[in-house]
Amino acid sequence: MGVFFYITAAIAVFSTAMVVTRFNIMHALLYLIVSLLSVAVIFYLYGAPYMASLEIIVYAGAIMVLIIFFVMMLNLGPESTRLEKQWLKPGMWMVPALFCVILLGELVYLIAQNHTPVTGIKEVPPKAVGRSLFGPYILAVELSAMLLMAGIVGAYHLGRQQPKTLHRFLQSKPS
Amino acid sequence: MTFEDLLSLGPLFNICGAAVLCMLLVAIWRNHRLIYYVTLVAFALALMSVVPVATLLPHTIAPLIVIDMFALFNSGAIVGSGLIIVLLSYNYFEEREERKEEYYLLLLLATAGALVLVISRHFMSFFLGLEMLSISLYGLIAYLRARQRSDEAGIKYLILAALSSAFLLFGMALVYGFTGHMDFPGIGAYLRQAGTFPLPVIAGFGLMLIGIGFKLGIVPFHMWAPDIYEGAPLPVAAFVATISKGGVLVVLIRFYQDIDGRNYTMLWWILAITAIASMFVGNLLALTQQNIKRMLAYSSIAHLGYLLVAFLSDTQSGLEAIAFYLTAYFPTSIGAFGVLIVMSSSVQDAETVEDYRGLFWRYPWVALVFTVMLLSLAGIPLTAGFIGKFYIVMAGVDGHHWFLLLMLVINSVIGLYYYMRVVAMMFRTTDTSQRIFIKPSLPLAGNITLGLIVMLLVGLGVYPTAMMQLIQQMMTLIK
Repeated sequence: MGVFFYITAAIAVFSTAMVVTRFNIMHALLYLIVSLLSVAVIFYLYGAPYMASLEIIVYAGAIMVLIIFFVMMLNLGPESTRLEKQWLKPGMWMVPALFCVILLGELVYLIAQNHTPVTGIKEVPPKAVGRSLFGPYILAVELSAMLLMAGIVGAYHLGRQQPKTLHRFLQSKPS
Repeated sequence: MTFEDLLSLGPLFNICGAAVLCMLLVAIWRNHRLIYYVTLVAFALALMSVVPVATLLPHTIAPLIVIDMFALFNSGAIVGSGLIIVLLSYNYFEEREERKEEYYLLLLLATAGALVLVISRHFMSFFLGLEMLSISLYGLIAYLRARQRSDEAGIKYLILAALSSAFLLFGMALVYGFTGHMDFPGIGAYLRQAGTFPLPVIAGFGLMLIGIGFKLGIVPFHMWAPDIYEGAPLPVAAFVATISKGGVLVVLIRFYQDIDGRNYTMLWWILAITAIASMFVGNLLALTQQNIKRMLAYSSIAHLGYLLVAFLSDTQSGLEAIAFYLTAYFPTSIGAFGVLIVMSSSVQDAETVEDYRGLFWRYPWVALVFTVMLLSLAGIPLTAGFIGKFYIVMAGVDGHHWFLLLMLVINSVIGLYYYMRVVAMMFRTTDTSQRIFIKPSLPLAGNITLGLIVMLLVGLGVYPTAMMQLIQQMMTLIK
């Protein structure tokens, strides 16, 4: 049990450090995914399987997809294709892939062992989360809806038209 | 949810409902005038719905929300200020932007965020309110796309506000992790029981203070203020200076009260040093500004410093002083930006001090209004600003904080200089043939609104008793 924690934590710390130090955004992204996956395994290890799955769905899933979309939209033309080929050298994806395999191995082992979480921790099933979200915290859910509306309307307005002026540092000097 | 719950959330429901309605209207039929009137009616209804809540107080909607007299008073102040800002906005946006409807939508949502802050007593509602406020502000600050510097201001606010939210959130996580509570009274009870501050809780409070300090724009987290005020549309700058800061201040007061902040000398000293630094930095940097928007930004930093002095006196009169000061400061600040709004032409904002040279001889009415606003900001007798500052001094005397008071007096004198500089500029005679002045738009609605604000400020300054009595009744926080 302790061994698993230390392996996972080491992977998490190492891959997060790699995220910060990578020069290329896609390489950083690979390590970020590994980092999020290892945090999910730690959640599972400590008896919060629901949190673990949420972590993967929301962070490793949704947010990563958004970043990839964003990078896709920025890339244009054959120049970027050549760059992408350059980025995808085996050396770049081998290490994150290896980490993922280790994490998967741990997870499979833990499930096969039918491991019991640390004593003194109350497991929170999805049903309880749903009940409290739509029970006492219903106002928070509704306020989040308003929050998202503000975000969407703001993004819609700002993204709608081409900006007509450049940043003042980028403007050419009037001659 | 009972009927009482719904009724006591009246102002919030009105504003949120209007936001949804506006969104649907924009989708069906884009019309600036229509959206403007819907927003006005919504604000007016929200202001009216404050009144019936008074019979239900104090009312708690566990676990997130508490509505007491204090919250209700500040809800009223926020909705009222929002109403004034909307009144001043119509012409400004009609002349500038081709798509103006989303502005009202975002303004409604930002106001709703401030209303949530005022009634929150739980980390979750606190954070949701704060994010509603700041996410709407990202859009609002960068709203005028055609304008230079609006993108710069928007991105600056986006990055800094997101960073400060991250600090706040991490602080909350630390506090929650070690106290096991997210509601303010629960944290207070835990700390009372424990007797000491565990180190992670201190770190958590420190991180939270960074987040709150950024939103309040107090030193050393004030760097964003002048650039944002300069780049944002004028009504939005007025919103940032008043409603956004007022809402966060209210949460800070509630949190301080619930965790018994007065028992922790360290916390008091940190806030005291911040207050003194805010006053000095704000006033000294405002001295040399040639741009009135930047000057108002620095002056708002200084005003937050004055408010913190009242906050630190930690007496009942301190609370009353804050309430009165906010009541005076909201219309004064909005009015000052309102003068800039009516003086701006459709191409250019009237923002440099030079634009106001000899204003009295060209537009005596506007010059007179601006003079009243500046005098009230400076705290000259017969205006609301004077009574507000007087109230703060009284609170400081009650709390025996002589050093803070001395700093406040010194800073009031420094502040006088730069307000008077603008006033003097307006009364200077000028040779109009030498210079081309901005041709102001001077919309009728804006002028009427400014007239009402002047009446309010002078009224509060000459006869403050009625307001004081109301505040004395309203300043009870729930225990």
